[in-house]
Amino acid sequence: MAEKIGVYFDLANIGGGVNVQSLADEATKKWGNLIALTKLVPELAKATDEIRADIEAQGLDGVLLCGASPRIDNELYRFAVPVDYVNLREQCVLAYKNPDGSPYIPAATAPANLQQMAQDYVQMGVAKMQKSTPPDSAAIEVTRRILVIGGGWTGLTAAAEAVDMGYEVVLVEKADKLGGAVINMPTASPLGPSWEYKSPTNLADKVAKITGNMRITVYLNAVMAKLSGQPGQYTAEINVAGEVKTEAIGSVILATGWKPLDPKYLEPMGLGKSSKVVTAAEFGKMLLADAPLPKRVAFVLDTTMAEEALKAKAAEAEAEAAAAEQAPQAEGAEGEEKAFVKADLESFAHLKYSNAVNSVGMLRLANTVCEKTADKSQAYILYKNMTVPGILERFYKKMQDRLGVMMTKADVTDIREDDDHMVVECKNTLLGQDFNLEADLVVLPTGLVPTTAKDVTVQFDYRQGPEFPDLELFDGFADSNYICFPYETRRTGVYAAGCVRQPLTLDACEVDAKGAVLKAVQCLEAANLGVAVHPRALDNSYPVFNFVRCTQCKRCTEECPFGALDDDEKGTPKPNPARCRRCGTCFGACPERVISFANYNIDQIGSMIRQVVVPADFKKEGPRVLILACENDAYPALDMAGMRRKAWSPYCRIIPVRCLGSVNAIWISDAMSKGFDGVVLLGCKYGDDYQCHFIKGSEICNRRMQNIAETLDRLGVQPERVAQLEVAIDEYDKVPTMIDNFVARITALGPNPFKGM
Amino acid sequence: MAQCTLKPDIDFSRKLLEAGGDSLKKCYQCATCAVACPMAPANAPYPRKEMVWASWGLKDNLKNDVDIWLCHNCGNCSDLCPRGANPADVMSAARNVVYQDLVAPKAVGSLMSKPSGLPILFAIPALLWLLVWWIRAGFNNGNWFPTRADGSIVFGDIFYGDYTIDPIFMLTFFAALFIIGRGAYKLWQAFKPEGSVAVIGPKKCWLCHLWDVLVEEIIFANHFDDCQDGPKTGQITHSRRVGHTILVWAFCLLAFVTAVVALGHWGGKVIPAIEITTPLKPLNIIKLIANLGAFLLVGGLAILTFRRIFEKQDTHKSNYYDWYLLGVIWAVALTGVFAQIFRLAQTAECAFFIYYLHLVFVWMLFAYLPWSKLGHLVYRTVALVYVRMYGRKG
Repeated sequence: MAEKIGVYFDLANIGGGVNVQSLADEATKKWGNLIALTKLVPELAKATDEIRADIEAQGLDGVLLCGASPRIDNELYRFAVPVDYVNLREQCVLAYKNPDGSPYIPAATAPANLQQMAQDYVQMGVAKMQKSTPPDSAAIEVTRRILVIGGGWTGLTAAAEAVDMGYEVVLVEKADKLGGAVINMPTASPLGPSWEYKSPTNLADKVAKITGNMRITVYLNAVMAKLSGQPGQYTAEINVAGEVKTEAIGSVILATGWKPLDPKYLEPMGLGKSSKVVTAAEFGKMLLADAPLPKRVAFVLDTTMAEEALKAKAAEAEAEAAAAEQAPQAEGAEGEEKAFVKADLESFAHLKYSNAVNSVGMLRLANTVCEKTADKSQAYILYKNMTVPGILERFYKKMQDRLGVMMTKADVTDIREDDDHMVVECKNTLLGQDFNLEADLVVLPTGLVPTTAKDVTVQFDYRQGPEFPDLELFDGFADSNYICFPYETRRTGVYAAGCVRQPLTLDACEVDAKGAVLKAVQCLEAANLGVAVHPRALDNSYPVFNFVRCTQCKRCTEECPFGALDDDEKGTPKPNPARCRRCGTCFGACPERVISFANYNIDQIGSMIRQVVVPADFKKEGPRVLILACENDAYPALDMAGMRRKAWSPYCRIIPVRCLGSVNAIWISDAMSKGFDGVVLLGCKYGDDYQCHFIKGSEICNRRMQNIAETLDRLGVQPERVAQLEVAIDEYDKVPTMIDNFVARITALGPNPFKGM
Repeated sequence: MAQCTLKPDIDFSRKLLEAGGDSLKKCYQCATCAVACPMAPANAPYPRKEMVWASWGLKDNLKNDVDIWLCHNCGNCSDLCPRGANPADVMSAARNVVYQDLVAPKAVGSLMSKPSGLPILFAIPALLWLLVWWIRAGFNNGNWFPTRADGSIVFGDIFYGDYTIDPIFMLTFFAALFIIGRGAYKLWQAFKPEGSVAVIGPKKCWLCHLWDVLVEEIIFANHFDDCQDGPKTGQITHSRRVGHTILVWAFCLLAFVTAVVALGHWGGKVIPAIEITTPLKPLNIIKLIANLGAFLLVGGLAILTFRRIFEKQDTHKSNYYDWYLLGVIWAVALTGVFAQIFRLAQTAECAFFIYYLHLVFVWMLFAYLPWSKLGHLVYRTVALVYVRMYGRKG
């Protein structure tokens, strides 16, 4: 808890005629000894030495910097004591407009509303700092050993990479030998420059690198039985041919790869019905076995006809089900927790996701056929979308540049057997005519179904169950939000790479493996330092539980988006700081408010709310609206709006929160009892295409809104006074209007009945 | 209608490749070429479709395609192709394959398609004229290089027009004309789609169209200007109109001279007043025209040859058919000019030998016309008349 705070005002960044001296005086008047000094510095960026000297001379234990947004130049202000900011520029002076909506033209003296806003923000800042302490260390002793699940191309690459980086490796492979799917591949697409030629897989070399390494323990015929603990201190139980081995593990790489899509999905295209129809994977095996090669091979990438047949079948089944009256309601006891049942997520969609891999694969196979027969064979590629990722365009050019490789976009509408050959019916082609194509063999694409869609791969010993959450959102792929957080699985310490994450070509699998190793190492070392991995990288705070008041309601353990909290039989939560992402969803959930961070807690935000001066005269001095803004997207959007002078109502006061998931209902009560007329929860978009950094935060907040509305209703406050608004980080142009609309609604609604009480 | 069964033919692709379309596999069907082509009308674009036909080895599609004849090979498409394919070369290769296969005897087409056939093609007229020379030398007391008493040289003393040159060339010319006429007919039939085509708007008979084509496209070569009007490619494009036009005019003059001399010679036997005897005097008007023709011929050839040599080889490659034709015309022109020079210089050995070569090359030019690139004189004309019949400018 800060006791001697130095408050610095950055004159270069506070304009608008704000009386800065008055802000300083008010703060000193209010907080007395807590504020050891206030200084008005001409330019904060040039005053860092001065601040350092003050810390030393005065023994300051906190520095409050009032000026630009905390998002600006914060790397500059790294001092020995905690630092916090008051955003008087982007979200105060620059965002100010007159109450009547007219733009503010800066004058020598700031209008009363602006001066008041600045003063509120300074007081809130001091209160925040007062209620903040440096966290204790959460550092743990870690095991520098990485578990790689899956001994295929990705797993082998990951294991070699991890060992190269100085970590021990435990490699778990389900089959009786290493290599995975690559064992059945005759050649690979290019693995490096010049990205033009087929590459030998050299699998034996890759395997030899692993089996010959003392620092790698390989378990064959092995599957995961259990993974318990937390990053840095995991215990893995591995079922090796019936016998359970236990290993201490630091972090995990999931490289369990894929399984071929069930042939039933391609049956409408003749797969399984004719021996002259095979999948690309099977054809690869034929090439490996040096099977006699046909003269005419049709590679069919367009699978629309199978999809349509399936759709028709599904519609038929649906109609039948409807005709046979609705099925009896699912029986079973309510309330009791249901036993975990793994859902089968395999679907036709996997074939579509595999289009890029199949495009590259078919180019490779078609070229190989021509090459092996010394250009006697003709290989037709009939595609709907020829998807060749990135630099592999060079490969495409090379593979295409072979006389026998003939390609066209085509709708393949029928595949049938005729005499001794197959007939492929093509429509809507680039040749300018519909035609039948005769072929001695038809090769269909292989659907890559991630192992996570079919099996429980890791067997987490977690409160939230053995499986990754929300796999169905990603059609069974072990992905979470690759663009923002590569390799992330929503289980801290477990990183997915290769085809279990996304269908990839071998070169991409290698890159993926290396990336995931970096992530696994980062996680392990972060646990060792006691800091968060991502998105709050290096955050050293963590939730602290006051178990005395805990009622074992289990909300925190259920709502944690990352399954960080286990519990005992009674339901008392058992925190695992190394699994935690520090989003605060747990303390947002807690009705007893027993969870807090040293530098972010219920009381702190409550105190900040109470620092705002709420005028008693609603009519004359306007309403007051509290905005709890997600600091990941909404807060930067507000900053950007301010920078572009897109002002919003001067009656708002903004408090950044770690995530809307961390918003505790008590803050809304605090605001209401303080006399605020409305509260806005400003956060990310949620739903299937969520943008939340903590995946579930804004969604959970939305769910809680219902409870909040009920509480407000009971108190006699209109539930409309609280609203959750969704904003994306780039919607700075929309967010001021959203806020103004809300303020207008509140103004129409009249004052909060609690005002002045 | 039942769907046709496609017959992709790798051997035909290979043939195209060997005929100069070595980039045919590079196409990825973006159709930049069809947009870049200044000749292709928006509603019947090319050469995108020809590229995919070439890749699939669709022989019939390409051989029956009128558009390959409308291409004047400006090379815009090759310059702009994002994949480094040269559609212009593939179009040219497609034409070459037609020269090769369109008319019988196909053995000639086959010999014409590659340098290795050249010795045989040369040997045929060489032996023919050698035989004539040998026989006629017998008439000159075994003298292979006879000179008149005044020292002047008369080629007719050996290669006597009435019995040697005229019948042989008449026969050759009409045989070639017959063969190429059959080719033209076959092409016309091939261009025609199945069923019937209704043309809306003003119609003209095919003869009128033929006249237009002769004047606009052959005499004045307007299409080359359209070619020049293509999108900016950033490449320097040399005009082909000047060289080509000069060459055509040169041929016209020489044909005119030949006709006049033939008329004078044969007609003179009936009406002595118009009789012309060769060799003509150097200042004779006909001789002057002939020499102007020869001069233009060499000039046009030089322009065309230099253009081909200095053109960017990666996008505007000249193939064997191009060089064969240029080579033969060069040979005809140079042997013609030098035969005259040596004749006037009264060096009998050189004069007769060069004149002999001249006869060989002229024979090659005419006899092999239906299978050589010069066939485009007829085939392209057929295509241009055809599309004009159906309302396209071509």
